[in-house]
Amino acid sequence: MSVTKQIGWLIIGLLALFGAACLHVLSGETAVSLGVMKDAIFQYDPSVMDHVLFREFRLSRTLTAILAGSSLALSGMLMQTLFNNPLAGPYILGINSGASLFVGLLLMSGISIGGAQLGIVGAALVGAFVSCIFMIGLSGYLRNQISLLLAGMMFGSFTSAIVSILQQLSGAEALKAFTMWSMGTLQQVSFEELYIFAGTVSVGILLAFSMGKYLNVLVLGEKPARLLGVNIVRTRIIILIAVAILAGVTTAFCGPIAFVGMAVPNLTRLVFKTQQHHLLIGMNLIIGALFVLICDALILNWAPVLPIPLNAFTSLIGAPFVLLILMRRVR
Amino acid sequence: MIEISHAIVGHQRPLIEIEDLVLEKGKVYAIIGRNGGGKSTLLNSLLGHVPLISGNMKIDGMDVHSLRRSILAKHVAFVASKFDGIEYLKVREYISLGKFGSSSILGQLPKEEAEHVEQLLEELSLLPLAGKFTDRISDGERQLAAVARALAQDTPVLLLDEPTAFLDYKNKKRMMEKLVEIAEQKNKCIVLSTHDLELAMDNSLIFLAVHRGRLEVIERLEKERFSYYFE
Repeated sequence: MSVTKQIGWLIIGLLALFGAACLHVLSGETAVSLGVMKDAIFQYDPSVMDHVLFREFRLSRTLTAILAGSSLALSGMLMQTLFNNPLAGPYILGINSGASLFVGLLLMSGISIGGAQLGIVGAALVGAFVSCIFMIGLSGYLRNQISLLLAGMMFGSFTSAIVSILQQLSGAEALKAFTMWSMGTLQQVSFEELYIFAGTVSVGILLAFSMGKYLNVLVLGEKPARLLGVNIVRTRIIILIAVAILAGVTTAFCGPIAFVGMAVPNLTRLVFKTQQHHLLIGMNLIIGALFVLICDALILNWAPVLPIPLNAFTSLIGAPFVLLILMRRVR
Repeated sequence: MIEISHAIVGHQRPLIEIEDLVLEKGKVYAIIGRNGGGKSTLLNSLLGHVPLISGNMKIDGMDVHSLRRSILAKHVAFVASKFDGIEYLKVREYISLGKFGSSSILGQLPKEEAEHVEQLLEELSLLPLAGKFTDRISDGERQLAAVARALAQDTPVLLLDEPTAFLDYKNKKRMMEKLVEIAEQKNKCIVLSTHDLELAMDNSLIFLAVHRGRLEVIERLEKERFSYYFE
Protein backbone atom coordinates (compact mmCIF):
# COMPACT_ATOMS: atom_id res chain seq x y z
CA MET A 1 0.00 0.00 0.00
CA SER A 2 1.40 3.37 -0.97
CA VAL A 3 2.21 5.99 1.63
CA THR A 4 -0.49 8.39 0.45
CA LYS A 5 -3.09 5.63 0.61
CA GLN A 6 -1.95 4.75 4.11
CA ILE A 7 -2.27 8.37 5.22
CA GLY A 8 -5.71 8.46 3.60
CA TRP A 9 -6.84 5.46 5.64
CA LEU A 10 -5.37 6.98 8.76
CA ILE A 11 -7.38 10.19 8.22
CA ILE A 12 -10.58 8.26 7.54
CA GLY A 13 -9.95 6.21 10.68
CA LEU A 14 -9.36 9.27 12.83
CA LEU A 15 -12.55 10.91 11.53
CA ALA A 16 -14.55 7.77 12.34
CA LEU A 17 -12.93 7.73 15.76
CA PHE A 18 -13.93 11.33 16.37
CA GLY A 19 -17.51 10.51 15.32
CA ALA A 20 -17.68 7.49 17.62
CA ALA A 21 -16.21 9.51 20.48
CA CYS A 22 -18.93 12.15 20.02
CA LEU A 23 -21.58 9.44 19.95
CA HIS A 24 -20.13 7.92 23.11
CA VAL A 25 -19.86 11.16 25.02
CA LEU A 26 -23.53 11.90 24.24
CA SER A 27 -24.67 8.47 25.44
CA GLY A 28 -25.85 8.20 29.00
CA GLU A 29 -28.80 8.49 31.28
CA THR A 30 -28.89 12.25 31.64
CA ALA A 31 -28.75 14.57 28.67
CA VAL A 32 -25.89 17.04 28.45
CA SER A 33 -26.31 20.17 26.39
CA LEU A 34 -23.71 21.00 23.76
CA GLY A 35 -23.08 24.34 25.48
CA VAL A 36 -22.16 22.66 28.77
CA MET A 37 -19.93 20.21 26.88
CA LYS A 38 -18.08 23.00 25.13
CA ASP A 39 -17.57 24.99 28.29
CA ALA A 40 -16.53 21.96 30.31
CA ILE A 41 -13.81 21.21 27.77
CA PHE A 42 -12.55 24.68 26.91
CA GLN A 43 -13.44 26.77 29.99
CA TYR A 44 -13.43 24.23 32.79
CA ASP A 45 -14.68 25.60 36.10
CA PRO A 46 -14.48 23.19 39.04
CA SER A 47 -17.17 25.10 40.93
CA VAL A 48 -19.80 24.38 38.29
CA MET A 49 -21.44 21.04 39.06
CA ASP A 50 -22.32 20.30 35.43
CA HIS A 51 -18.70 20.76 34.39
CA VAL A 52 -17.42 18.39 37.05
CA LEU A 53 -20.05 15.79 36.24
CA PHE A 54 -19.32 15.99 32.54
CA ARG A 55 -15.58 15.76 32.99
CA GLU A 56 -15.50 13.03 35.61
CA PHE A 57 -18.31 10.85 34.27
CA ARG A 58 -18.65 11.47 30.56
CA LEU A 59 -15.37 12.67 29.15
CA SER A 60 -13.18 10.44 31.32
CA ARG A 61 -15.23 7.38 30.33
CA THR A 62 -14.92 8.23 26.64
CA LEU A 63 -11.18 8.73 26.88
CA THR A 64 -10.82 5.56 28.93
CA ALA A 65 -12.70 3.62 26.24
CA ILE A 66 -10.31 4.96 23.60
CA LEU A 67 -7.20 4.13 25.62
CA ALA A 68 -8.45 0.67 26.63
CA GLY A 69 -9.52 -0.31 23.11
CA SER A 70 -6.33 0.96 21.49
CA SER A 71 -3.96 -0.67 23.91
CA LEU A 72 -5.73 -4.03 24.01
CA ALA A 73 -5.88 -4.23 20.22
CA LEU A 74 -2.22 -3.29 19.86
CA SER A 75 -1.07 -5.74 22.52
CA GLY A 76 -3.05 -8.46 20.77
CA MET A 77 -1.44 -7.65 17.43
CA LEU A 78 2.02 -7.75 18.97
CA MET A 79 1.33 -11.17 20.47
CA GLN A 80 -0.14 -12.55 17.25
CA THR A 81 2.91 -11.55 15.23
CA LEU A 82 5.39 -12.60 17.90
CA PHE A 83 3.88 -16.06 18.40
CA ASN A 84 2.94 -16.36 14.73
CA ASN A 85 -0.52 -17.23 15.92
CA PRO A 86 -3.79 -15.56 14.87
CA LEU A 87 -5.45 -16.80 18.06
CA ALA A 88 -3.07 -15.14 20.48
CA GLY A 89 -4.21 -12.24 22.61
CA PRO A 90 -3.75 -10.85 26.10
CA TYR A 91 -6.92 -12.47 27.40
CA ILE A 92 -6.43 -15.93 25.93
CA LEU A 93 -2.76 -16.12 26.87
CA GLY A 94 -3.57 -15.40 30.48
CA ILE A 95 -2.34 -11.83 31.01
CA ASN A 96 -5.74 -10.94 32.45
CA SER A 97 -5.66 -14.07 34.61
CA GLY A 98 -2.33 -13.07 36.07
CA ALA A 99 -3.61 -9.57 36.74
CA SER A 100 -6.80 -10.98 38.32
CA LEU A 101 -4.79 -13.26 40.58
CA PHE A 102 -2.68 -10.43 41.92
CA VAL A 103 -5.61 -8.07 42.33
CA GLY A 104 -7.46 -10.87 44.13
CA LEU A 105 -4.50 -11.50 46.40
CA LEU A 106 -4.27 -7.82 47.23
CA LEU A 107 -7.98 -7.13 47.82
CA MET A 108 -8.73 -10.28 49.72
CA SER A 109 -5.63 -10.49 51.81
CA GLY A 110 -6.67 -7.21 53.38
CA ILE A 111 -3.27 -5.63 52.93
CA SER A 112 -3.59 -2.05 51.77
CA ILE A 113 -0.83 -0.45 49.78
CA GLY A 114 -1.25 3.23 49.07
CA GLY A 115 -4.78 4.17 48.05
CA ALA A 116 -7.23 1.40 47.20
CA GLN A 117 -7.32 2.27 43.50
CA LEU A 118 -3.57 2.70 43.24
CA GLY A 119 -3.07 -0.66 44.95
CA ILE A 120 -5.28 -2.41 42.40
CA VAL A 121 -3.43 -0.78 39.53
CA GLY A 122 -0.06 -1.81 40.91
CA ALA A 123 -1.15 -5.38 41.64
CA ALA A 124 -2.65 -5.82 38.17
CA LEU A 125 0.51 -4.52 36.53
CA VAL A 126 2.69 -6.91 38.50
CA GLY A 127 0.33 -9.77 37.66
CA ALA A 128 0.41 -8.92 33.96
CA PHE A 129 4.20 -8.86 33.94
CA VAL A 130 4.46 -12.16 35.82
CA SER A 131 2.13 -13.95 33.40
CA CYS A 132 3.96 -12.39 30.46
CA ILE A 133 7.26 -13.79 31.71
CA PHE A 134 5.56 -17.15 32.25
CA MET A 135 4.35 -17.09 28.63
CA ILE A 136 7.80 -16.16 27.30
CA GLY A 137 9.18 -19.20 29.08
CA LEU A 138 6.45 -21.52 27.82
CA SER A 139 6.58 -20.32 24.23
CA GLY A 140 10.12 -21.67 24.01
CA TYR A 141 8.76 -25.20 24.52
CA LEU A 142 5.34 -25.01 22.92
CA ARG A 143 5.83 -24.45 19.21
CA ASN A 144 2.36 -25.56 18.22
CA GLN A 145 -0.24 -22.82 17.81
CA ILE A 146 -2.96 -24.62 19.73
CA SER A 147 -0.81 -25.91 22.58
CA LEU A 148 0.28 -22.41 23.55
CA LEU A 149 -3.38 -21.40 23.77
CA LEU A 150 -4.20 -24.48 25.82
CA ALA A 151 -1.37 -23.56 28.15
CA GLY A 152 -2.84 -20.07 28.49
CA MET A 153 -6.20 -21.58 29.34
CA MET A 154 -4.65 -23.92 31.91
CA PHE A 155 -2.92 -20.94 33.46
CA GLY A 156 -6.32 -19.19 33.53
CA SER A 157 -8.03 -22.16 35.23
CA PHE A 158 -5.25 -22.42 37.75
CA THR A 159 -5.36 -18.76 38.73
CA SER A 160 -9.16 -18.70 38.87
CA ALA A 161 -9.06 -21.70 41.21
CA ILE A 162 -6.80 -19.76 43.55
CA VAL A 163 -9.06 -16.74 43.21
CA SER A 164 -12.11 -18.88 44.19
CA ILE A 165 -10.31 -20.11 47.29
CA LEU A 166 -9.45 -16.52 48.17
CA GLN A 167 -13.09 -15.54 47.66
CA GLN A 168 -14.21 -18.26 50.09
CA LEU A 169 -11.86 -16.92 52.71
CA SER A 170 -12.56 -13.23 52.33
CA GLY A 171 -15.15 -10.87 53.73
CA ALA A 172 -18.08 -9.25 51.97
CA GLU A 173 -16.39 -5.91 51.33
CA ALA A 174 -13.33 -7.39 49.63
CA LEU A 175 -15.48 -9.80 47.68
CA LYS A 176 -17.58 -6.97 46.32
CA ALA A 177 -14.56 -4.88 45.36
CA PHE A 178 -13.05 -7.79 43.47
CA THR A 179 -16.27 -8.75 41.71
CA MET A 180 -16.78 -5.17 40.57
CA TRP A 181 -13.25 -5.00 39.21
CA SER A 182 -13.52 -8.35 37.42
CA MET A 183 -16.65 -7.33 35.52
CA GLY A 184 -14.70 -4.73 33.64
CA THR A 185 -15.75 -1.11 33.62
CA LEU A 186 -14.62 2.10 32.01
CA GLN A 187 -16.10 4.24 34.76
CA GLN A 188 -13.47 3.76 37.47
CA VAL A 189 -10.81 6.02 36.02
CA SER A 190 -10.82 9.58 37.35
CA PHE A 191 -9.73 12.47 35.18
CA GLU A 192 -6.44 12.78 37.06
CA GLU A 193 -5.65 9.07 36.67
CA LEU A 194 -6.20 9.43 32.94
CA TYR A 195 -2.86 11.21 32.68
CA ILE A 196 -1.06 8.20 34.17
CA PHE A 197 -3.11 5.84 31.99
CA ALA A 198 -2.45 7.80 28.80
CA GLY A 199 1.22 8.27 29.62
CA THR A 200 1.80 4.57 30.18
CA VAL A 201 -0.11 3.58 27.05
CA SER A 202 1.98 6.06 25.03
CA VAL A 203 5.16 4.36 26.20
CA GLY A 204 3.78 1.02 25.04
CA ILE A 205 2.76 2.48 21.67
CA LEU A 206 6.16 4.09 21.09
CA LEU A 207 7.89 0.84 21.99
CA ALA A 208 5.68 -1.06 19.56
CA PHE A 209 6.24 1.49 16.83
CA SER A 210 10.00 1.33 17.24
CA MET A 211 9.77 -2.45 16.74
CA GLY A 212 7.78 -2.12 13.51
CA LYS A 213 10.47 -3.31 11.13
CA TYR A 214 11.30 -6.25 13.42
CA LEU A 215 7.65 -7.24 13.43
CA ASN A 216 7.70 -7.15 9.62
CA VAL A 217 10.50 -9.73 9.59
CA LEU A 218 9.06 -11.85 12.39
CA VAL A 219 6.17 -12.92 10.16
CA LEU A 220 8.72 -15.10 8.38
CA GLY A 221 9.21 -17.07 11.59
CA GLU A 222 11.98 -16.92 14.15
CA LYS A 223 14.63 -18.95 12.36
CA PRO A 224 14.51 -17.03 9.07
CA ALA A 225 14.41 -13.76 11.00
CA ARG A 226 17.55 -14.76 12.90
CA LEU A 227 19.29 -15.57 9.61
CA LEU A 228 18.51 -12.05 8.43
CA GLY A 229 20.42 -10.70 11.41
CA VAL A 230 17.63 -10.15 13.93
CA ASN A 231 18.57 -10.56 17.58
CA ILE A 232 15.59 -12.74 18.47
CA VAL A 233 15.95 -12.79 22.25
CA ARG A 234 16.21 -9.02 22.52
CA THR A 235 13.35 -8.50 20.05
CA ARG A 236 11.10 -10.91 21.95
CA ILE A 237 11.79 -9.26 25.28
CA ILE A 238 11.12 -5.73 24.03
CA ILE A 239 7.88 -6.77 22.34
CA LEU A 240 6.66 -8.60 25.42
CA ILE A 241 7.49 -5.64 27.63
CA ALA A 242 5.29 -3.53 25.34
CA VAL A 243 2.55 -6.17 25.60
CA ALA A 244 2.75 -6.28 29.39
CA ILE A 245 2.64 -2.49 29.63
CA LEU A 246 -0.33 -2.12 27.28
CA ALA A 247 -2.45 -5.04 28.44
CA GLY A 248 -1.34 -4.67 32.05
CA VAL A 249 -2.19 -1.02 32.51
CA THR A 250 -5.55 -1.43 30.79
CA THR A 251 -6.50 -4.43 32.90
CA ALA A 252 -5.33 -2.52 35.92
CA PHE A 253 -7.59 0.47 35.30
CA CYS A 254 -10.57 -1.19 33.64
CA GLY A 255 -10.53 -4.78 34.83
CA PRO A 256 -10.41 -7.70 32.43
CA ILE A 257 -11.94 -6.96 29.02
CA ALA A 258 -12.16 -10.09 26.94
CA PHE A 259 -11.52 -10.72 23.24
CA VAL A 260 -10.84 -7.16 22.07
CA GLY A 261 -7.13 -7.97 21.92
CA MET A 262 -7.75 -11.07 19.87
CA ALA A 263 -10.59 -10.02 17.59
CA VAL A 264 -9.51 -6.52 16.53
CA PRO A 265 -6.05 -7.42 15.10
CA ASN A 266 -7.62 -10.19 13.03
CA LEU A 267 -10.28 -7.83 11.77
CA THR A 268 -7.62 -5.23 10.91
CA ARG A 269 -5.50 -7.71 8.96
CA LEU A 270 -8.59 -8.95 7.17
CA VAL A 271 -9.61 -5.45 6.11
CA PHE A 272 -6.20 -4.06 5.14
CA LYS A 273 -4.64 -7.29 3.84
CA THR A 274 -1.12 -6.27 4.67
CA GLN A 275 1.85 -7.28 6.80
CA GLN A 276 3.28 -3.76 7.01
CA HIS A 277 3.28 -3.37 10.75
CA HIS A 278 3.58 0.40 10.94
CA LEU A 279 0.22 0.64 9.21
CA LEU A 280 -1.19 -2.27 11.22
CA ILE A 281 -0.15 -0.61 14.48
CA GLY A 282 -1.90 2.64 13.52
CA MET A 283 -5.06 0.92 12.33
CA ASN A 284 -5.22 -1.42 15.33
CA LEU A 285 -5.09 1.58 17.64
CA ILE A 286 -7.96 3.21 15.77
CA ILE A 287 -10.13 0.15 15.23
CA GLY A 288 -9.57 -1.04 18.81
CA ALA A 289 -10.72 2.33 20.13
CA LEU A 290 -13.71 2.33 17.78
CA PHE A 291 -14.70 -1.17 18.86
CA VAL A 292 -14.70 -0.41 22.58
CA LEU A 293 -16.34 3.01 22.07
CA ILE A 294 -19.21 1.46 20.15
CA CYS A 295 -19.63 -1.46 22.59
CA ASP A 296 -19.65 0.92 25.54
CA ALA A 297 -22.01 3.37 23.84
CA LEU A 298 -24.46 0.50 23.34
CA ILE A 299 -24.03 -0.54 26.97
CA LEU A 300 -24.73 3.03 28.09
CA ASN A 301 -27.84 3.26 25.95
CA TRP A 302 -29.24 -0.10 27.06
CA ALA A 303 -28.33 0.35 30.70
CA PRO A 304 -31.77 1.54 31.85
CA VAL A 305 -33.39 -1.58 30.40
CA LEU A 306 -30.65 -4.20 30.58
CA PRO A 307 -27.38 -3.48 32.36
CA ILE A 308 -24.53 -5.51 30.81
CA PRO A 309 -20.98 -5.61 32.19
CA LEU A 310 -18.42 -4.63 29.55
CA ASN A 311 -16.47 -7.87 29.90
CA ALA A 312 -19.63 -9.89 29.28
CA PHE A 313 -20.55 -7.79 26.25
CA THR A 314 -17.17 -8.07 24.52
CA SER A 315 -17.21 -11.84 25.22
CA LEU A 316 -20.65 -12.14 23.63
CA ILE A 317 -19.28 -10.61 20.44
CA GLY A 318 -15.74 -11.95 20.68
CA ALA A 319 -16.29 -15.65 21.38
CA PRO A 320 -18.21 -16.36 18.15
CA PHE A 321 -15.53 -14.39 16.30
CA VAL A 322 -12.84 -16.72 17.67
CA LEU A 323 -14.83 -19.67 16.38
CA LEU A 324 -14.97 -18.05 12.95
CA ILE A 325 -11.22 -17.58 12.88
CA LEU A 326 -10.66 -21.15 14.04
CA MET A 327 -12.73 -22.40 11.14
CA ARG A 328 -11.18 -20.09 8.60
CA ARG A 329 -7.50 -19.94 9.48
CA VAL A 330 -6.49 -22.74 11.80
CA ARG A 331 -8.99 -25.55 11.16
CA MET B 1 34.53 -18.17 -0.04
CA ILE B 2 34.25 -20.99 2.51
CA GLU B 3 37.29 -22.59 4.15
CA ILE B 4 36.99 -25.59 6.41
CA SER B 5 39.97 -27.25 8.06
CA HIS B 6 40.40 -30.16 10.48
CA ALA B 7 36.73 -29.93 11.26
CA ILE B 8 34.44 -32.45 12.89
CA VAL B 9 30.79 -31.66 12.16
CA GLY B 10 28.01 -33.09 14.28
CA HIS B 11 25.64 -32.48 17.16
CA GLN B 12 26.87 -34.54 20.11
CA ARG B 13 28.41 -37.34 18.14
CA PRO B 14 30.65 -36.70 15.13
CA LEU B 15 28.92 -37.03 11.74
CA ILE B 16 31.39 -35.75 9.17
CA GLU B 17 35.12 -35.29 9.33
CA ILE B 18 36.50 -32.67 6.97
CA GLU B 19 40.28 -32.52 6.63
CA ASP B 20 40.63 -29.56 4.31
CA LEU B 21 38.03 -27.98 2.06
CA VAL B 22 37.87 -24.74 0.11
CA LEU B 23 34.67 -23.72 -1.69
CA GLU B 24 35.15 -20.95 -4.22
CA LYS B 25 33.06 -18.16 -5.62
CA GLY B 26 31.42 -18.57 -9.01
CA LYS B 27 30.74 -22.27 -8.46
CA VAL B 28 27.83 -24.40 -7.35
CA TYR B 29 28.43 -27.29 -4.96
CA ALA B 30 25.97 -30.08 -4.30
CA ILE B 31 26.09 -31.93 -1.00
CA ILE B 32 24.86 -35.46 -1.57
CA GLY B 33 24.58 -38.57 0.57
CA ARG B 34 22.08 -40.80 2.31
CA ASN B 35 19.47 -39.45 4.72
CA GLY B 36 20.77 -38.95 8.23
CA GLY B 37 24.34 -38.75 6.97
CA GLY B 38 24.76 -35.15 8.06
CA LYS B 39 23.90 -33.01 5.01
CA SER B 40 21.56 -30.74 6.96
CA THR B 41 23.88 -30.64 9.94
CA LEU B 42 26.68 -29.43 7.67
CA LEU B 43 24.44 -26.67 6.27
CA ASN B 44 23.31 -25.73 9.77
CA SER B 45 26.91 -25.61 10.84
CA LEU B 46 27.73 -23.25 7.99
CA LEU B 47 24.82 -21.07 9.13
CA GLY B 48 26.25 -20.90 12.63
CA HIS B 49 23.39 -22.89 14.18
CA VAL B 50 25.38 -26.01 15.03
CA PRO B 51 28.83 -25.44 16.51
CA LEU B 52 31.72 -27.59 15.31
CA ILE B 53 32.92 -30.36 17.60
CA SER B 54 36.42 -29.30 16.65
CA GLY B 55 38.29 -27.49 13.89
CA ASN B 56 37.73 -24.33 11.89
CA MET B 57 35.05 -23.06 9.58
CA LYS B 58 35.54 -19.70 7.91
CA ILE B 59 33.43 -17.63 5.57
CA ASP B 60 35.25 -14.76 3.82
CA GLY B 61 38.09 -15.30 6.27
CA MET B 62 35.94 -14.96 9.39
CA ASP B 63 35.15 -17.68 11.87
CA VAL B 64 31.47 -18.58 11.41
CA HIS B 65 30.81 -19.59 15.00
CA SER B 66 32.14 -16.51 16.71
CA LEU B 67 30.53 -13.92 14.41
CA ARG B 68 27.57 -11.85 15.47
CA ARG B 69 24.28 -12.69 13.74
CA SER B 70 23.94 -9.27 12.19
CA ILE B 71 27.41 -9.57 10.62
CA LEU B 72 27.03 -13.19 9.54
CA ALA B 73 23.82 -12.14 7.77
CA LYS B 74 25.95 -9.96 5.47
CA HIS B 75 28.00 -12.98 4.37
CA VAL B 76 25.63 -15.95 4.22
CA ALA B 77 22.05 -16.20 3.02
CA PHE B 78 19.90 -19.28 3.33
CA VAL B 79 16.95 -20.76 1.44
CA ALA B 80 14.92 -23.49 3.15
CA SER B 81 13.57 -26.43 1.16
CA LYS B 82 10.03 -25.18 1.43
CA PHE B 83 8.49 -21.75 1.85
CA ASP B 84 4.76 -21.97 2.43
CA GLY B 85 4.02 -18.33 1.79
CA ILE B 86 2.59 -15.87 4.26
CA GLU B 87 -0.93 -14.49 4.23
CA TYR B 88 -1.12 -10.88 2.98
CA LEU B 89 2.64 -10.65 2.40
CA LYS B 90 3.32 -9.56 -1.19
CA VAL B 91 6.17 -10.99 -3.26
CA ARG B 92 7.92 -7.62 -3.53
CA GLU B 93 7.63 -7.02 0.23
CA TYR B 94 8.87 -10.53 0.92
CA ILE B 95 11.97 -10.06 -1.23
CA SER B 96 12.59 -6.66 0.38
CA LEU B 97 12.77 -8.38 3.78
CA GLY B 98 16.11 -9.76 2.61
CA LYS B 99 17.34 -6.19 2.96
CA PHE B 100 16.26 -5.99 6.62
CA GLY B 101 19.76 -4.98 7.68
CA SER B 102 19.73 -1.77 5.65
CA SER B 103 16.12 -0.71 6.21
CA SER B 104 15.23 2.40 8.19
CA ILE B 105 13.36 2.31 11.49
CA LEU B 106 10.15 2.73 9.50
CA GLY B 107 11.09 -0.27 7.36
CA GLN B 108 11.83 1.88 4.30
CA LEU B 109 14.73 0.92 2.00
CA PRO B 110 17.36 3.34 0.65
CA LYS B 111 16.85 4.10 -3.04
CA GLU B 112 19.65 1.92 -4.42
CA GLU B 113 18.52 -1.04 -2.30
CA ALA B 114 14.93 -0.66 -3.51
CA GLU B 115 16.28 -0.60 -7.07
CA HIS B 116 18.21 -3.80 -6.41
CA VAL B 117 14.96 -5.49 -5.38
CA GLU B 118 13.37 -4.38 -8.66
CA GLN B 119 16.37 -5.68 -10.57
CA LEU B 120 16.09 -9.09 -8.86
CA LEU B 121 12.37 -9.25 -9.65
CA GLU B 122 13.27 -8.63 -13.28
CA GLU B 123 16.14 -11.12 -13.40
CA LEU B 124 14.14 -13.96 -11.89
CA SER B 125 11.09 -13.11 -14.06
CA LEU B 126 9.05 -12.36 -10.94
CA LEU B 127 7.88 -8.89 -11.99
CA PRO B 128 4.36 -10.03 -12.98
CA LEU B 129 4.00 -11.58 -9.51
CA ALA B 130 5.48 -8.69 -7.52
CA GLY B 131 2.09 -7.48 -6.26
CA LYS B 132 0.67 -10.93 -5.50
CA PHE B 133 0.44 -12.49 -2.05
CA THR B 134 3.12 -15.10 -1.36
CA ASP B 135 0.54 -17.71 -0.35
CA ARG B 136 -1.34 -17.30 -3.62
CA ILE B 137 1.38 -18.29 -6.12
CA SER B 138 2.62 -21.71 -7.25
CA ASP B 139 5.28 -23.75 -5.41
CA GLY B 140 7.81 -23.10 -8.15
CA GLU B 141 7.18 -19.36 -8.10
CA ARG B 142 7.43 -19.32 -4.33
CA GLN B 143 10.75 -21.13 -4.33
CA LEU B 144 12.04 -18.65 -6.90
CA ALA B 145 10.85 -15.80 -4.68
CA ALA B 146 12.70 -17.37 -1.75
CA VAL B 147 15.88 -17.42 -3.83
CA ALA B 148 15.31 -13.79 -4.76
CA ARG B 149 14.84 -12.96 -1.06
CA ALA B 150 18.19 -14.60 -0.29
CA LEU B 151 19.85 -12.78 -3.21
CA ALA B 152 18.46 -9.50 -1.90
CA GLN B 153 20.59 -10.12 1.17
CA ASP B 154 23.50 -9.55 -1.21
CA THR B 155 25.87 -12.07 0.39
CA PRO B 156 28.88 -13.75 -1.26
CA VAL B 157 27.72 -17.16 -0.01
CA LEU B 158 24.32 -18.70 -0.65
CA LEU B 159 23.19 -21.92 1.04
CA LEU B 160 20.14 -23.90 -0.03
CA ASP B 161 18.61 -26.91 1.69
CA GLU B 162 17.20 -29.24 -0.99
CA PRO B 163 15.90 -26.35 -3.11
CA THR B 164 14.33 -28.68 -5.67
CA ALA B 165 12.74 -31.21 -3.30
CA PHE B 166 9.16 -29.96 -3.61
CA LEU B 167 9.18 -28.90 -7.26
CA ASP B 168 7.92 -30.67 -10.35
CA TYR B 169 10.41 -31.73 -13.01
CA LYS B 170 10.19 -28.58 -15.13
CA ASN B 171 10.64 -26.30 -12.14
CA LYS B 172 13.47 -28.45 -10.73
CA LYS B 173 15.34 -28.06 -14.00
CA ARG B 174 14.69 -24.34 -14.19
CA MET B 175 15.79 -23.84 -10.58
CA MET B 176 19.09 -25.69 -11.04
CA GLU B 177 19.92 -23.80 -14.24
CA LYS B 178 19.07 -20.50 -12.61
CA LEU B 179 21.38 -21.23 -9.67
CA VAL B 180 24.30 -22.03 -11.97
CA GLU B 181 23.62 -18.83 -13.89
CA ILE B 182 23.52 -16.81 -10.67
CA ALA B 183 26.79 -18.30 -9.39
CA GLU B 184 28.58 -17.43 -12.61
CA GLN B 185 27.09 -14.02 -13.28
CA LYS B 186 27.08 -12.73 -9.73
CA ASN B 187 30.25 -14.55 -8.70
CA LYS B 188 28.67 -16.24 -5.71
CA CYS B 189 29.62 -19.38 -3.86
CA ILE B 190 26.49 -21.53 -3.86
CA VAL B 191 26.18 -24.66 -1.75
CA LEU B 192 23.06 -26.78 -1.87
CA SER B 193 22.01 -30.19 -0.63
CA THR B 194 20.09 -32.38 -3.02
CA HIS B 195 18.85 -35.84 -3.96
CA ASP B 196 18.39 -34.88 -7.61
CA LEU B 197 21.72 -36.34 -8.70
CA GLU B 198 21.13 -36.48 -12.44
CA LEU B 199 19.93 -32.93 -12.55
CA ALA B 200 23.00 -31.84 -10.62
CA MET B 201 25.19 -33.81 -13.03
CA ASP B 202 23.53 -32.29 -16.09
CA ASN B 203 24.43 -28.86 -14.76
CA SER B 204 27.97 -29.98 -13.91
CA LEU B 205 27.80 -29.10 -10.24
CA ILE B 206 30.71 -30.09 -8.05
CA PHE B 207 29.70 -32.87 -5.71
CA LEU B 208 30.44 -32.96 -2.01
CA ALA B 209 29.64 -36.55 -1.14
CA VAL B 210 29.02 -37.32 2.51
CA HIS B 211 30.02 -40.94 2.84
CA ARG B 212 31.01 -43.02 5.84
CA GLY B 213 31.70 -40.00 7.98
CA ARG B 214 33.89 -38.27 5.44
CA LEU B 215 33.39 -35.60 2.81
CA GLU B 216 34.64 -36.38 -0.66
CA VAL B 217 34.92 -33.75 -3.39
CA ILE B 218 34.00 -35.17 -6.79
CA GLU B 219 34.44 -32.99 -9.86
CA ARG B 220 32.78 -35.50 -12.18
CA LEU B 221 30.43 -38.10 -10.79
CA GLU B 222 29.95 -41.32 -12.75
CA LYS B 223 26.42 -42.62 -12.90
CA GLU B 224 27.62 -46.09 -11.95
CA ARG B 225 28.96 -44.76 -8.68
CA PHE B 226 25.60 -43.32 -7.52
CA SER B 227 24.59 -46.20 -5.33
CA TYR B 228 28.03 -46.40 -3.75
CA TYR B 229 27.50 -43.04 -2.05
CA PHE B 230 24.15 -44.08 -0.65
CA GLU B 231 25.26 -47.28 1.06
